[in-house]
Amino acid sequence: MQVIRFTDVTKSYGKGAPALQDVNFNLRKGEFVFLTGPSGAGKSTLLKLIYMGARPTSGEVRVSGYSSAKINRREIPHLRRRLGIIFQDFRLLKNRTARENVAFALEVTGASRTAIGPKVQRTLNAVGLGQKAERFPNELSGGEQQRVAIARALVNDPFILLADEPTGNLDTRTSLELLRILREINSLGMAVLLATHDYTLLAEYPEARVLHLVEGALVGDTANPALRGPEIPAGAPSPSRLVSPQAQARTAVGAPRLEAPPPASGDRERVRVRGSV
Amino acid sequence: MAYTTREAFFAFSRAPLLTALSILTITFSLFSLGVFGLLVLNIQRYLTGVEERIEVIAYLEDQARREQVEGLIASLKSRPEVEQVSYVSKAEALERARVEMPENQELFADLDVNPLPASIEVRLKPGYRNDPVISRLGRSLEGAGFVEQVEYGRDWVRKLDFLKTIFLALGLVTGAIFAAISFVVISSTIKLVLLSRAEEIEIMKYVGATNGFIAKPFLVEGFAKGAIGGLIALTLTFLAYTFVNGRVIEVSFYSPGLAAGSLFAGALLGMAASYLSLRHHLVEW
Repeated sequence: MQVIRFTDVTKSYGKGAPALQDVNFNLRKGEFVFLTGPSGAGKSTLLKLIYMGARPTSGEVRVSGYSSAKINRREIPHLRRRLGIIFQDFRLLKNRTARENVAFALEVTGASRTAIGPKVQRTLNAVGLGQKAERFPNELSGGEQQRVAIARALVNDPFILLADEPTGNLDTRTSLELLRILREINSLGMAVLLATHDYTLLAEYPEARVLHLVEGALVGDTANPALRGPEIPAGAPSPSRLVSPQAQARTAVGAPRLEAPPPASGDRERVRVRGSV
Repeated sequence: MAYTTREAFFAFSRAPLLTALSILTITFSLFSLGVFGLLVLNIQRYLTGVEERIEVIAYLEDQARREQVEGLIASLKSRPEVEQVSYVSKAEALERARVEMPENQELFADLDVNPLPASIEVRLKPGYRNDPVISRLGRSLEGAGFVEQVEYGRDWVRKLDFLKTIFLALGLVTGAIFAAISFVVISSTIKLVLLSRAEEIEIMKYVGATNGFIAKPFLVEGFAKGAIGGLIALTLTFLAYTFVNGRVIEVSFYSPGLAAGSLFAGALLGMAASYLSLRHHLVEW
């Protein structure tokens, strides 16, 4: 089942070159997808279009039944409650504890206070921060802050987690730990779209689908063998230089090597694991 | 609602300096508005006091017959603009003159005949004490054959009308300017609050808060600040009034209803200014 569909999406800001140009792809329920590309390639813009923080200049973005062409402003908050979003800079409320930060996402939905408490605790336990619920962000490490942000993103049971360079402020060990958490979340049936230019993450999870953006164009999609895309212009940073040896083995010159999509892991298994959290 | 109130007051305790600053600016803008309002109010009251003394007096010829006079009084009483009609006989007129002009006692004592005419005094209802109504009444009294002269200080009434209009217009225009300044000042301080919390608002949007949900605590905050600023301004205005009253001139203060109304208006002003600043922040998607 497709949960996100981009059809001929172009997004321009002002007069310069478009941030995204003619982007087409689908994202299925429960998929884990890396969105890669150098800085300024349009990764954040693509995510922004998904949470309807911006409208495409042309084309259509469909997210879980909502269309960018038809959605009205009042519906956007309701769409966002079905998405979990995390950022490089965590975006936690600094004057609130971890618990309050997570509870906040439920409060905005109008959930009852009696329901909020236990759910927040469960979610913080799930990301391993049950013991640090009363700490303020500045009393937590970067990795822990990002886990609070993940808990906040998860607490509304979204169907997809959008992560915009979530490891940008973290060291390698913490980044890999974060990836492990995201994979665990994905194994429970939630789709994950992880925008990153940290190619060690790709190397760590080579089976995952990779979308590769260069200068606003989707030049690579491992789920779409037809999309081989243009060569990256000379002088532009090539992902192959950044990729770890394992990942390089599956990376074509200039763009991730295009492979058949990974076989979807069994739904039956997901159902079983979901019950365990 | 619990969330909204909690958030609004959380905002107070979190940024006490900014809160104090915005309340202070609200206080001072509302205080200037309050003092100016008091000034206009007192001028209006003074002019109204003068206006209450307006009456039309018809002096009657001595030959006027009793039934003619009674007929005129009855017809005057039936007019909608007339509040009170009183007949002053020749004897009463003389008696009044004696009381009012004691320095002329001897002159009055020497009189063989009473030279003063009888008269009909007409007082008008509030709202009718203006030049067109008085002139019309005067003309119709002059039309009665047995009325010798009608006195109603027409020029004087005209001047009073003019003054009242000028002060009302001046009051409205200056009041509107003061209110606009207060509004701008309040909305700027609230904009400052919003800017200091822009990140928080953005996060609220990411997690799916509706604009209404985001706005409510700010509106409550604006309302509370307006009310607190209004209360302090009202207290200061009252202090200024007690200082001036009696010592400089006799003045009156706002009626309790008007005071409560201004307080509520201050709170609404705070809320409206918040709303306007918020709209700017929340419209883009």
